[in-house]
Amino acid sequence: MEVMWHASSFLLPQPQPQEPREDAPPPPPAALTYALIVLNQRLPRFAPLLWNRAQLRVCADGGANRVYDDMPKLFPDQDPQEVRLRYTPDVIKGDLDSIRDDVKEFYLNLGVRIVDESHDQDTTDLHKCVAYVSGSAPVEDKSKLCILVVGALGGRFDHEIGNINVLHRFSNLRIVLLSDDCLIHLLPKTHSHVIHVQLPVEGPHCGLIPIGAPSARTSTTGLQWNLSDTAMSFGGLISTSNVVKEDKVTVSSDADLIWTISIKKPIKE
Amino acid sequence: MVSRLVQNTKVMKHAATFLLPSSAVSATNRLAQTYALVVLNQQIPKFTPLLWSHAKLRICADGGANRIFDGVPKLFPDQNQLNIQHRYVPNVIKGDMDSIRPEVHQFYAELGSEIIDNSENQDTNDLHKCISFIREQTSAFDHSNFCTLVTGALGGRFDHEAANLNALYVFSDMRIVLLSDDCQIRLLPKTHQHEIHIQSTIEGPHCGLFPIGGPSVSTTTTGLTWDLCNSEMKFGSMISTSNKVREEKVTVCSDADLLWTISLKTPIHMGLTC
Repeated sequence: MEVMWHASSFLLPQPQPQEPREDAPPPPPAALTYALIVLNQRLPRFAPLLWNRAQLRVCADGGANRVYDDMPKLFPDQDPQEVRLRYTPDVIKGDLDSIRDDVKEFYLNLGVRIVDESHDQDTTDLHKCVAYVSGSAPVEDKSKLCILVVGALGGRFDHEIGNINVLHRFSNLRIVLLSDDCLIHLLPKTHSHVIHVQLPVEGPHCGLIPIGAPSARTSTTGLQWNLSDTAMSFGGLISTSNVVKEDKVTVSSDADLIWTISIKKPIKE
Repeated sequence: MVSRLVQNTKVMKHAATFLLPSSAVSATNRLAQTYALVVLNQQIPKFTPLLWSHAKLRICADGGANRIFDGVPKLFPDQNQLNIQHRYVPNVIKGDMDSIRPEVHQFYAELGSEIIDNSENQDTNDLHKCISFIREQTSAFDHSNFCTLVTGALGGRFDHEAANLNALYVFSDMRIVLLSDDCQIRLLPKTHQHEIHIQSTIEGPHCGLFPIGGPSVSTTTTGLTWDLCNSEMKFGSMISTSNKVREEKVTVCSDADLLWTISLKTPIHMGLTC
């Protein structure tokens, strides 16, 4: 089974050189192209860090309000308008029923592309943005694209679950949902997984959750409570409040799993 | 397609009467229930005093005690803060005791809260422990008329949230409702057909149905804007999010356990003087 590598190097203050490992080639974090999608929740404190990593920045509807209002708050010593000019999205997309008029006008005047998709009620804002990013991102090999999303967790529960379902619907893409407290991403059953834990910025709390379908057999290494051909399901065992014990975690499962790991505070930019 | 639904005449009724003031609940006696309240370690919703007034048993899970101690007085800013703290004393504080602040621990212990230290048991999370405790205390009760309300189960670390959702499945024979300022969540077990009576002054219209434990081959609903009709639902494909309640009674019948969620309107009138 093919191996898929994961590393949250987008949370590191600057690209770190990877130590060559004897047992396996290092993941190519520098070779990943990042895109950022901002949904309509308060920005996490490390949003500027993600913004600077990304080559494409998309706001989903009211996410534009959040960038407009919250980015200046993350730089309280700086002039708010200067901050806004520095953190201008490439595209604003979605129903456009949440974006404020003043925010819309501000970004229109800066030449930001605003795409009204209120005619399409079948998919969520995140779904539309992921489809757009996947089609537009400046990278030919989609396995080298990583889509970072803020504002997908918390708030209305049906929105959160709809956002998690986007991970399942686009299971061939790397999509990471981030909040102040944690990040989550899918580990598709089509691959075995190696997660290089970035200990300065993430962990130790972690979990593996079989959302959508149970797992008959999951095995891990590198965790405090490893699984060994263990069955997981809602109503039975799911792996929560686990702890990373090594900086390399491996996961292999017959089911799609959600991997979650806590984010350390504070993350300095 | 032949429906694969089990022909099941058992109906389970649901109503968020715990969000109505006590006077309104007695007027709708047929849905009155006995409540327990579990407070987990996240910011309490603004209507927590209303839930507290309905509950016969109030349990704080570890740092949930800090949340009551700090958070309830802030909901009554014009009142004497210490008086408020004296009025909202949990019956039980249970858990690892690694989050509760020493002064909060002492305050409630002196006022008679039963403190149950579970730090030796690391196998289940705080919510599971509290629900097990409630189950032991209430074995004499008719479970169909008993309901456990939980605050602080959502948000924060995602693995905590998942463990809290799992509690609904693990204890699927008990009525448990997870509540936040934005929404409520319940399990609709596949063993029953469900009738959900919507209190439209306080909840809706946004709602959803999710098969997080496993796919549904056939789910049928009435009363929603986008009703399901023997519809398949699974992650990776269609699940019912951003739906809306259209009628005062919603029915759900499925071959799979489903999570039901409905948004809460703000503000919820507290309907009480403290």
